[in-house]
Amino acid sequence: MSMMNYEHKYRVRGGTLVGGDLFDFWAGPFYVGFFGVTTMFFTIIGVALILWAASLGPTWNIWRISIAPPDLSYGLAFAPLREGGLWQLITVCAIGAFVSWDLRMIEIARKLGMGLHTPIAYACAITAYITLEVIRPVLMGAWGNAFPYGIISHLDWVSNVGYQYLQFHYNPAHMIAVTFFFTTTFVLAMHGGAILSALNPPEGEPVKGGGHEDAFFRDLMVYSIGPLGIHRLGWFCAINAGLWSALCILLSGPFWTRGWPEWWSWWLNLPFWK
Amino acid sequence: MNVIFAPFIVVGRLLGALAGFGRARPWTTGLTLAGTAAFVAISALIFTFERPPLQVVQIGYRGTGMQAVYNTRRTDAQLPLQQVDLPLPAVTPAGKTAGEVYKNIKVLQAVDANEFLRLMGAMTQWLAPQAGCAFCHSLNNMAEDTVYNKIVARRMLQMVASINKSWKVHVGDGGVTCQTCHRGQAIPSGSWFVQPPPHGQRGLTQADSGQNLPAQVAGLTALPYDPLTPFLLQAASIRVTPTTALPSGGVRPSINQTDWTYSLMIHFSDSLGVNCTYCHNTRAFEEWDQGTPQRVTAWHGIEMVRDLNRAYMVPLTTVFPREMRGTLGDVAKVSCQSCHNGAYKPFYGASALSSYPELLQVTDTANAQSAENQAVGNQPAAIQSATGRP
Amino acid sequence: MLENPSGFGPGPKPQFGIEYQNLFNRVQIDGVLDRGPPLAEGNENRGKMRFSWLLGLIGNNQLGPFYLGPLGIAAFVCGFIAFEIIGLNMFASVGWDPVQFVRQLPWLGLQPPAPSYGLHIPPLAEGGWWLMAGFFLTLAIMLWWVRVYRRARALGMGTHIAWAFASAIWLYLVDGFLRPVLMGSWSEAVPFGIFPHLDWTASISIRYGNLYYNPFHMLSIVFLYGSALLFAMHGGTILATGRYWAEREVELAVDRGTAVERGSLFWRWVMGFNATFESIHRWAIWFAILCTLTGGIGILLTGTVVDNWYLWGVKHGIAPAYPRVYAPITDPGYLRGVTGSTSLVAPTGAVHP
Repeated sequence: MSMMNYEHKYRVRGGTLVGGDLFDFWAGPFYVGFFGVTTMFFTIIGVALILWAASLGPTWNIWRISIAPPDLSYGLAFAPLREGGLWQLITVCAIGAFVSWDLRMIEIARKLGMGLHTPIAYACAITAYITLEVIRPVLMGAWGNAFPYGIISHLDWVSNVGYQYLQFHYNPAHMIAVTFFFTTTFVLAMHGGAILSALNPPEGEPVKGGGHEDAFFRDLMVYSIGPLGIHRLGWFCAINAGLWSALCILLSGPFWTRGWPEWWSWWLNLPFWK
Repeated sequence: MNVIFAPFIVVGRLLGALAGFGRARPWTTGLTLAGTAAFVAISALIFTFERPPLQVVQIGYRGTGMQAVYNTRRTDAQLPLQQVDLPLPAVTPAGKTAGEVYKNIKVLQAVDANEFLRLMGAMTQWLAPQAGCAFCHSLNNMAEDTVYNKIVARRMLQMVASINKSWKVHVGDGGVTCQTCHRGQAIPSGSWFVQPPPHGQRGLTQADSGQNLPAQVAGLTALPYDPLTPFLLQAASIRVTPTTALPSGGVRPSINQTDWTYSLMIHFSDSLGVNCTYCHNTRAFEEWDQGTPQRVTAWHGIEMVRDLNRAYMVPLTTVFPREMRGTLGDVAKVSCQSCHNGAYKPFYGASALSSYPELLQVTDTANAQSAENQAVGNQPAAIQSATGRP
Repeated sequence: MLENPSGFGPGPKPQFGIEYQNLFNRVQIDGVLDRGPPLAEGNENRGKMRFSWLLGLIGNNQLGPFYLGPLGIAAFVCGFIAFEIIGLNMFASVGWDPVQFVRQLPWLGLQPPAPSYGLHIPPLAEGGWWLMAGFFLTLAIMLWWVRVYRRARALGMGTHIAWAFASAIWLYLVDGFLRPVLMGSWSEAVPFGIFPHLDWTASISIRYGNLYYNPFHMLSIVFLYGSALLFAMHGGTILATGRYWAEREVELAVDRGTAVERGSLFWRWVMGFNATFESIHRWAIWFAILCTLTGGIGILLTGTVVDNWYLWGVKHGIAPAYPRVYAPITDPGYLRGVTGSTSLVAPTGAVHP
């Protein structure tokens, strides 16, 4: 039953958020739970709808498939299935599946007596998705402001939406988001490298521990944040990357309609040096 | 007062609690102060943004993101600035032309004498509502050519006629009048001069590269701050994106050249109150067939503005007194902003030309033909040196 | 609390308040500072150390001891020279006005030589300063790389961080040196400056037909987002099992404890698969390394091998086709013989002298 040799003692009942013992069991390595069932429900319907929508399109080339939201003229109303309605249903299924998955993570964390850091981080990613596909379109008055489902077509959307604001890199929230993404990758490399270099010393050297990790970073750059702190830092940077990304697109349109470079006029026009 | 300070107290207490866990600790005061300052700064920044409602216009196929995004507060504020003046009351034709009735008529000889006076009245309203006739005329003798503005006005009448006749491909049947650019001002808001490096010679340090300063004309980017001289006065190549997937030899535009094109394009967008997707599907800027028909109109607009600057503006350089010219002694020139004034069509498509058909009866005198030849020669030498960067 | 960690049934319940979510340190160590393990022979002494209460809120509260050494001094000097060249040239570009320097700072830049110089050495004012700043910055980075390598060896550790750093240096060298050399022009390189380098980023994408269609750019973004995903998952897992001392990762990697068991089972139950305490760090370092490695490849191919990434995508059948909205539009320039990008002259500032 594909169980780890120590797994048996951890497989206990309880910890569910709703439904008590309903669906409180495992399937292979997977925990099922009520939200596992709802995840499967939304995923199966959502994938089926994606396949249906793709079949209406001109191609089965995975790169070129695109399932577009409705025309702006539909506003926030339902559109006919072939004209964006399928996109609307797929979005509902996606949100249902994502949220179910996150709630299932909470149940599993509770079962194992763990904190809720991973479901919280995942909730930030879901927030970014909902911002793009629901909150911003609602603020702008039409589902047609959301991005299409397609590997390359969503890049085309990103390109055009970026150039709606002439030079998107000047978006201050985008700057912060990119900085968080780069910083996360940077500290991930340092952390991963630190653990691996302690565990894999040169031939003949003993495995090193936390003391050596600290000493390495202190020697190199004055400060070692430490084995616990690095995970706080990484977790913080990672969720901020997602949240500031969500904010940078939320600002574009609802809260700024001009070129982003022009936003910086407030800085140039501060009263004491204008 | 408590209401005003409540947010600061809350933030301060939160940070204090976080920092000191209820006990006095070093840094607690500093953290509280820093938190308060950050709170104030962030609160102030909120006012730099806009807020809904929006009006979004779909330009391309759904889901491609080709859309014009407008804040209706801003477009509402624009609307009064985009109103065509009501035409002056119609007059009974005199039966004689202006050339027969008045002295020293050079370009409006063929116009009916009464229509001529009506047009003069309209021009006063369009250009110099305050200064009145005296803006162009000596009030002692209206026929005299003593005021330089009168010389300029003649040439500008020829320019308006030329735009309406030869550049229909850009301005359409609606055409333009003096008001399109002037809008009650002697100097249209979109006029521009060649911009010399703002900080001059700087010894051994980096010479001015034409960019990396806040560029007003390029929407406050750090892109080249004077894209108008190479593209709208001179005829530098705007196209930078190749039309083949792989390198195919020949002249290859640089990334730096792209900065210049990008700068010009931002001038277009800001002048028209649109964004890049008004003309382009930005996934492939260069592909005409993926863009919109507006791009073709804009292409002719570039040709038109170059022609207007070279054939009409530059030859007037020495007509203008020195103080009316730019730092380098060059004449004020036309940009996209001159006519569009922030609207995708000047006056959102409204036009008064049909009320003033006399604007089409302007005599195009011989100097129009020679104008293009003069164009380059008439430029002050300073411009050549200022733009002669390597 | 540990007797009933999952909190079900009788016994004390675990608390889920903010103080128990492991987000900051409730207690700071206030004792003897840690000098660290002895360094290998031939190394110099370490510097001073002190407590920092503020840093102690989220991590270690000890600052230092710092190991400077000749490599560190050399790297600092080179970095300082580069910093000064860039900063003073920016200062000069506003006519040495200190107020305008601060006001316009984000816009200011140090521009590489104009395209007309190709790979020749231009006068100082025409891009020479840019070359010199780039030289010293590169030297500083290289010296720092050697330092990273040697600090690891001096402690008898592996050199993984140095090799991850090398991957970032690869991207830096491609952007500022290797690609310009292959293109035969310094002007292709990135300018120094906040907004100027953002403009360069936009312009290279426009010039080379949309970088989103560059498959290595796609990969690089995947690894960038993937790195954030991995750190959210890994950081979250360690914090969530912090009450079982999960942060002692090296010890737990060689001698599994309940933190490992819970963290592993969490992911096993969520997604059917789990990494180990060692392998998660291999995933981590590879995602980070591949981000800049693939990014560098993508930029190196841009302009050298592929001139228009969108058309490359069309050629290889990845560009979606959208239904037509307008009647066919043709290039009005065809009538004048203006086609492609190879006609007429370049704008001022980019023209050959």
